[in-house]
Amino acid sequence: MSYAKEIKVALAGNPNCGKSSLFNALTGSHQRVGNFSGVTIEKYEGYVDYRNYRVRFVDLPGTYSLTAYSPEELVTRNYLIEETPDIVVNVVEGPNLERNLLLTIQLMEMEVDLLVALNMFDEVQAQGIEIDFKQLQRLLGCHIIPTSAKKKQGLDSLLDHVVRVYEGDIEVKKNKLAFRPEVDKAIEDITELLSNEPELGKYNHRWLAIKLLENDKEVYNVVRQYPVWVKTELALQEVIQETEKVYKSDPEISITEDRYAFIRGAMQECVGQAREKKQSVTDYIDLVVLNRVLGLPIFLFVVWVIFHMTFTLGTPMMDGLDALFGMLGESVATFLPNGTVRSILVDGVIAGVGGVLIFLPNIILLFIGLSFLEASGYMARAAFVIDRIMHRFGLHGKSFIPMITGFGCSIPAIMATRTLKSRSDRLATIMIIPFMSCGAKLPVYVLLAGAFFTPAVAANVMFGIYMLGIVVGLFSALIMKKTVLRSESEPFVMELPPYRWPSLRSVLVQAKDKAMMYLKKAGTIILLAVLLIWTFSNYPKNPELDAALDREIASIEQSIADETERQDAIIAVENRINAGQLEYSLAGRAGKLLEPVIKPLGFDWRIGIALVTGLAAKEIVVSTMGTIYSLGEADETSSELKTILKNDPAFDQATALSLMVFVLLYIPCVAAVGVMRKEIGEWKSVAFYGAYALTAAWIFSFITYRLAQLVL
Amino acid sequence: MLLSELKVGDKAEVTEVRAESGVRRRILDMGLVKGTRLKVLRVAPLGDPIEIVFKGIYLTLRKKEATGIQVEKTGEAGDGKPMGGKRLRWRLGG
Repeated sequence: MSYAKEIKVALAGNPNCGKSSLFNALTGSHQRVGNFSGVTIEKYEGYVDYRNYRVRFVDLPGTYSLTAYSPEELVTRNYLIEETPDIVVNVVEGPNLERNLLLTIQLMEMEVDLLVALNMFDEVQAQGIEIDFKQLQRLLGCHIIPTSAKKKQGLDSLLDHVVRVYEGDIEVKKNKLAFRPEVDKAIEDITELLSNEPELGKYNHRWLAIKLLENDKEVYNVVRQYPVWVKTELALQEVIQETEKVYKSDPEISITEDRYAFIRGAMQECVGQAREKKQSVTDYIDLVVLNRVLGLPIFLFVVWVIFHMTFTLGTPMMDGLDALFGMLGESVATFLPNGTVRSILVDGVIAGVGGVLIFLPNIILLFIGLSFLEASGYMARAAFVIDRIMHRFGLHGKSFIPMITGFGCSIPAIMATRTLKSRSDRLATIMIIPFMSCGAKLPVYVLLAGAFFTPAVAANVMFGIYMLGIVVGLFSALIMKKTVLRSESEPFVMELPPYRWPSLRSVLVQAKDKAMMYLKKAGTIILLAVLLIWTFSNYPKNPELDAALDREIASIEQSIADETERQDAIIAVENRINAGQLEYSLAGRAGKLLEPVIKPLGFDWRIGIALVTGLAAKEIVVSTMGTIYSLGEADETSSELKTILKNDPAFDQATALSLMVFVLLYIPCVAAVGVMRKEIGEWKSVAFYGAYALTAAWIFSFITYRLAQLVL
Repeated sequence: MLLSELKVGDKAEVTEVRAESGVRRRILDMGLVKGTRLKVLRVAPLGDPIEIVFKGIYLTLRKKEATGIQVEKTGEAGDGKPMGGKRLRWRLGG
């Protein structure tokens, strides 16, 4: 479809005001998701062609206000200042107009070309709330368009208004809210001061003045760079003293109170009461869901369901993908001659891509679950229920679900921390997630516990390992929040939105976006790392061993007549040579290099190699041990490997326990590290985490080893 | 008295918000300003945070955050009593 002009529209509104549904209803399938620069806040963009205009929408993050309080608010106002959209559509929740108008007023203060979309108008009508649109429009100085994203009503009218404002057919009045006289005077004075500074041209000076009076750190930092600051600072101090004297509060409080006073007046004048307010469905659900006795069990049940959906349903798919890539590798192998190219392609590229892709089912399933919880309104309640415990360890109630998800797989868990607003809360949660023992570590425990303990004791040992992970994780959070991550935690002041039935489409879209994000960003890092580790464990080759292999096979073929016996002998030789090659490779040398460091933990160089290759994926620890003990292919159920380990003089119960603890706590697989890097946004913190995890692993393994030697 | 000292079912009116700046900002932005009437709805199963309701908003906050809010117990919400303190004016400027 051809179009003559493009109109840039930003959608702003409170969380849960139906802004995203409106965005979806307006733009349909013409959407794409990205990030706002520098932050992990998702940016949804989309367009719709209306008459001969292409109207481009940006869905700004949901905010209650436009202070510098949260990253969402900063992103929103920076977008309005830097990107200067043609029109800002403020989406307000019709039935909850009063609270929503605070943002409207702050948008008015920025003097943008504003339209108000009064969303959920169907509910307003159902509740019998009368709204005097004419008068409210007069007060706000902009047009108000009733819409309902759910019923797809008012969308054309909204687009029509957008076009008319764009073409100048509708004038946006840009009313200015009057504050108490002292404050108003100060705003006027400071505005005038600031307007003498040409460098501040892109800002609205009155807005800057208001923000300065509100003690807004970001705006302070902007204005402070210019000479005009000297006079401004004096003026600010004066007004602060004056309001303190008259109102016994600072200008920030005065300004906020005046805004609410205006809102209260506007509400009284223009908006009628809802008909006889009955207990809403939300009230009834919360009576049960947040009940003092039932609240916690229900919460645990919900977590259990999410966990099972992700992993019970996801693991077969994961195994399926794994098998698929295995088959692909094998069939490629039959087409190519034995050699380096085949090895790179099959064991490097295909195995590497497979290693990245197998996590997809888990990620998609988890995010289907989490988006459902978030959109339905339960997520906030979950945080409310569990916050007491999490807060003890310096975390936020919202940290719990990502943490628990870590027991399945760290990757989706780390991605799920995006619900946390404060960076320090988020970093702390990300850093303790790998301590929650993930599914891939289980084979290691099964092998070792199975080899060295009776079945009854083995179960206790595994339980103990899981508990140790939780304890180390929680106390790590506590320590980090008291030291390196000391900066502001998110205060727990959170609205419980009304329950809503999420639309299937938006839940699926969310999950799809997360999956794409994982593939695009993490995929590249992970693939590189997997290839690197592959190179490490295959090179350099020892030509003498290759020659020895050929020689021995030749001699076996001559000397042994029986077919099966001959095959067995050849496999034995191959396994022995493979073990030799691994020992000769960089990974093998790294293992040997590590030996002095890990000796106190009871590990020899062979375990060192397994730990190095285990960086690719934790289950590889087991298969590497299989190779190194000349067994060829091995997994945790392989009784041969168990017997060999049991009979190995270098291995006893203490070593086994120590190794389990080390595998539990040391650096997770490269995929998890890649996602961590992606979500944190810088290597520095990832490096800190790596050092922390290795130290913790070493210390706890050491203690375990020594204690076990004493006791067992 | 402090918001954190109220019991479940108590109704009160905010007289002052004086939490430290970040928390205060958040509380103010949620609409909990001087004169707002609220009701304590429930306490979380583990005893903290609490849930209050005002102006159709269901807000949860930790007791620690609630200590920053001064309140005065009132009778029934919406019982026609004037708002506490100096009545705030509003007007439209140009």
